Order: sequence, then structure tokens, then C-alpha cells
Amino acid sequence: MNRILNILSQALEAVIALKLRSFFCTFSIAIGISAVTIIVATTEGAYKKAFDLVEVFGPDAVLIVSGSEESRAIARREKTLTLADADAIRNSFGTAYLVVPMSSVHDVNVSYKGNRYSAPVVGTTNDYSVSWTWPVVEGSDFTEEDLKRAANVALIGNETMHELFGDENPVGKFIQVRTIPVQVVGVLQERGASMGGGNLDNRIVMPITTVMKKLQNESKYIAVMRVRFEDIENLDFHREELREFLRMRHGIPEGELDDFQIFASKDIIKFLVALTGSLIVFVGIVGIISLIVAGFVLANLFHLSVSERTAEIGIRRSVGAKKRDILHQFLAEAILLTTAGGVLGFLFGYGGAKLLQKLADFPIHFSWKAFMIGLLLSWIIGILFGLQPASRAANLKPIEAIRG
Amino acid sequence: MNPLCLMENVKKTFRIGEDLSVEVLKGIDLKVDEGEFIAIMGTSGSGKSTLMNLIGCLDVPTSGRYLLAGREVLGLLDDDLSELRNTHIGFVFQSFYLLPYATVLENVLLPTLYREKTAGHVERRAAEILKLVGLEKRMNFRPNRLSGGEQQRVALCRALMNDPEIILADEPTGQLDSKTASEIMNLLSDLNKKGKTVIVVTHDATIASYAGRVIHIKDGIIIDE
Ligand SMILES: Nc1ncnc2c1ncn2[C@@H]1O[C@H](COP(=O)(O)OP(=O)(O)OP(=O)(O)O)[C@@H](O)[C@H]1O
Ligand SMILES: [Mg+2]
Repeated sequence: MNRILNILSQALEAVIALKLRSFFCTFSIAIGISAVTIIVATTEGAYKKAFDLVEVFGPDAVLIVSGSEESRAIARREKTLTLADADAIRNSFGTAYLVVPMSSVHDVNVSYKGNRYSAPVVGTTNDYSVSWTWPVVEGSDFTEEDLKRAANVALIGNETMHELFGDENPVGKFIQVRTIPVQVVGVLQERGASMGGGNLDNRIVMPITTVMKKLQNESKYIAVMRVRFEDIENLDFHREELREFLRMRHGIPEGELDDFQIFASKDIIKFLVALTGSLIVFVGIVGIISLIVAGFVLANLFHLSVSERTAEIGIRRSVGAKKRDILHQFLAEAILLTTAGGVLGFLFGYGGAKLLQKLADFPIHFSWKAFMIGLLLSWIIGILFGLQPASRAANLKPIEAIRG
Repeated sequence: MNPLCLMENVKKTFRIGEDLSVEVLKGIDLKVDEGEFIAIMGTSGSGKSTLMNLIGCLDVPTSGRYLLAGREVLGLLDDDLSELRNTHIGFVFQSFYLLPYATVLENVLLPTLYREKTAGHVERRAAEILKLVGLEKRMNFRPNRLSGGEQQRVALCRALMNDPEIILADEPTGQLDSKTASEIMNLLSDLNKKGKTVIVVTHDATIASYAGRVIHIKDGIIIDE
């Protein structure tokens, strides 16, 4: 009786030990693969977002932003660019086919017939829609005349339209922007969330003169301007020219820093790559470590498994299995285990990436690539670490395997 | 007619460690014709299993000559030996050696996994063989639900699966009671009557009495027949 109990408990222990090992092995591969999945998804997401942004931004455009790099870094936005700067650039740069100044005010209370909403107001020139390749789908853009008169007119984004008007046609209606009555002249096409990052469809676009005078109480300074050039191949050159030009206009002596920054689409890509880069390094280290751990757990598991299964190997050999049959069998088992880990890891990674996206607004993009890379890696680990135990199994002498 | 097995002055030496070796078989001459039923007897450690393994190509002689079905076994590659075992030999071992996680049917089908040419209907053939030993109702059982005698009958079916000329049974009844043992021996007898060559290793004279020819081994030499 005691003996039976002993045998039973030992068998149970062995099963649990093996299960635990299998579980541990699958799990550590899963962690590694999930890290890899996150890396691939964020890298892909970053690039996709960068290229989306570049497309919207325009590959032929630069953005000039008020304030030096330092002041922006500490979030103290000083305004240094002026409407006059914009005019001067328009007149001095022959190939600058669009120069669009912009100033924006965040969280402006707007209302229509008791519907209240809070939206960003962007002040700009009448080229806004052209400048950002953003069609007006209902009504029309405001005019140069509106700009000169600082007229109370606005284009509204798709979301703002729904919030304020529901199904009512907004064109021609007056909305209240803070305390000012403003006539809606057009509706911007829905941009959707495809750009990632912030919401674009809630904005209200008004003549920059109106925004400066009536919302900002500002007569001279603007926040940013956007310049598009016909000759895209000379963009770097124009950028340098613009810099010299603005330094001169702002009277900045040699050796002092710019009081503005110029961005091109290239910089967007750089920024996003830097943003995701640090994450990739961190997750990459975790991933590599856990994959290596997983590999050794796997190798260990299979060495044990080979020892426990010498009899099985012997039987298979006695009925005619060749060395390579045994090798393949054990490799297949290893790969099966790592594949399970890989698939599980992809699911973990998918969840983790979605969470990152929710919490930290990381750009994430899943494609077959992320899945295939994870799967491939798990196979490589299975083969790499399973090969040695498998070939030990294959090279066991049949008589020794049979003798146990 | 050529003999099925022909051994001439076969020796087998095992190396133990660096420079120690034991000569277990010291010059075996053996001729086995097709359709014979042979029992090999001898004391423990006399070399019966070693001889059996050589006959079954689980191992190769250190020296001498061994022809199996007309083919010289010495100098063959490992893959060729596997193929010889797969097609010419069916093994039955004392402790059954069934795969515990596979069903009875899967165990019987095992040799077909490693066969070069897979004939169709292997499962039907397996079922027929199992029926022959009265286990057709146990096909989907795991071995641990079978009695020892039943397990050994499954092992016998596995040995028959690829229709080999020779059945090699190394103390097939060593773990069975006498009644079950005689059942197994009757099965082997029937197979022999149907033309199979059967070689059984045993300590037991009753078991040996089923054979048409008894070979005694002592200290690695065949002492008499
Ligand atoms: N692989 C091996 N390496 C070293 N020695 C071995 C090996 N196989 C067998 N021997 C030795 O050879 C001798 C004969 O072994 P074998 O298994 O052939 O005996 P046997 O007649 O079958 O005995 P038993 O009746 O106990 O099964 C024994 O002394 C054994 O220790
Ligand atoms: Mg023996």
C-alpha cells in the first residue's frame, strides 16, 4: 500500500514537473515573442504614422514655428513670427507657392442653439484647405476679402458639425464662438483618425486676422507658418535660406540661437523614430533575454525528455526508425512547443501593444510581418536549442536504448 | 535453398570504458532456415540477448560473417540496418515496450511509419492482425488498460505489421504467468505453422518445448543443439 502510494506520488510529481517545464518553456518563449511582436508593431506603426504625417504635411512643405528650441522644450511658447514675416517670405521666395500663417486657440467654447462644445480654433489664410489638401465638402472656403475684413466666418470640422448641428445643414448658420457670432461658410471633409495622434475633425478654421484680433487680442505675432515650394528637390537649400532670411529680419546677431524652428517632413520621421527607439531598445533587451532563457529551458527540457524516453527511442529504432526519423520527431516536438509559445506570445504582444497605444498613445500597426517574424523566431529557437538533444536521441545506440 | 540467416564465426566484443573490453560472443556459427522455430537457452549473461540483437540487426558483429536474407550485414550503414529491421524482423521483448501515450492501434501501426513503400489500408491490416489475437475490441485502448498478456499480444501484432520473415522474441513470457505464457507460445506456434521463422530466447524448458530446435549457449559459445 505504502509502495503504491509512493509510486503514485512519484508519477504525479514527474507529470507535474514535466508539465511545469513545458509550461515554463512555452511561457518564456511567449514573453520573448510578445516583446518582439511589440517591437515590430511599434516600428511599423511609427513608420506608417510618419509616412501618413508626411503625406498630410506635404513632402514639399516646411513648417516654421515661433520660439527657439529651448523655449519650446520648456513649453514656454514665445511668439516671434509675424504676419509681416509671412508676407515678406511670400514676396522674396519665388518658388514658395503657398505661405500660410497659422495661430490657434485651444478649448474655445462654441455653441449653437444651446448645443455646447469645446474645440480648437485655427486662424489661417484662405488657402488653408489648399495648403493642407483638405477639401471643403459643403459650402465654400472663406475669401481673401474675409481675411482683409477680419470677417466673422468659419469652416468647421466634421465632428464639430455633428456636435453642434446634428443633422441640420450648418452652412450659413451662425454659431457662438466665445461671445462672438460667427457664420459657418463651409464644412471640412472628415479626416478620421488615420493620422494617429490627435483629433483633427473637431477644429474650427477662421481667418487669422479675426482670430488674432477678436480671440487672442494680438496685433502682430503668429504661432506657425507653413511654406510649400514648387521645387521639392531644393527643399534643404530653401530651408537654409529661410533661416538666414528670418534671422536677418529678426535681427539676430551671429552666434545667437534662432528664435524659431523650421521643420520638414524628414524631421517628423526622425522624431517618431527617436520616440519609438527607446521603447524598442528596452523591449528588445527583455525580449532577447527571455528568448535565450526560453531556449535553455527548452534544451534542458528536451535533454530530460530524451533520458526519460530512451525505451521509446529503442522501440522506434527496433521497428525500423532511422536516425533522422528520431531527430525529426524530437525537433518536431521542440518546434511544436515553441510554435505554441510563439502564437501565445503574439497574442500577448497584441494585447500589450494595444494597451501601450491606449495608455501612451504609441503608434501601433499590426501586419502579417509582426506575426511571421514572431513565428519564424520561435521556430529558430526550437531548432537551435532542440537540435542538440534531438541529435543525442538520434545517436543513441538501439541496443542501449532497448536495454534502458 | 539459401538459409535465411547464416552466421560464421561471429564474435561480439563490448568496450567498457577506455581500455577494458569483454568478448560476449566468441565465435558463433548458426544457420537458420526459413520456417524454423528455434529456442535459444542458456544461463543469465551467457550472451543470448546479444546474439538475438545481432540476428535482428539491432547491432552488428565485431567480426565474422552474417548474411541475412542473402545480404551481408557487416559494413552496412545505419540506415540500411534500420531498413532491414523494418522489413525482415519483428521484435517481441520481455517488457512489451508499448508506447504508453499511443493507442493499441497506433502501437501496432508503428512499423508502418518507417516503411519506405507504404501500402494502402494499413489500418485494415492492423485490425485484421489484432482480430487474430482477439484484441479487435481493444483497438482504441491505451496499453495501461490492458493486462500483461494482452500487452504482449499487441507487441506481437506490432512485430507482424510489416509482414517480416522472422519473429525474434527475447523472453516474451518472462513477465507472464504460465497460462498466459502458453497462450503467447501457442500464437507463436501458429505463426510458425503459417510459415514464419520464429526464434525465442528463454530460460524455461516448457517454453523451449514449443520449438523444433533448441540451441544452448554458454559463455558466448553454442555448446550443443
Ligand atoms: N552494451 C553492452 N555493453 C557492455 N556489456 C554488455 C552490453 N550488452 C551486454 N553486455 C554484457 O554481455 C553479457 C551478455 O549479456 P546478454 O544480455 O546477452 O545476456 P543474456 O544471456 O541475455 O542474459 P539474461 O538471461 O540475463 O538476459 C553480460 O555480461 C552483459 O553484461
Ligand atoms: Mg537477455
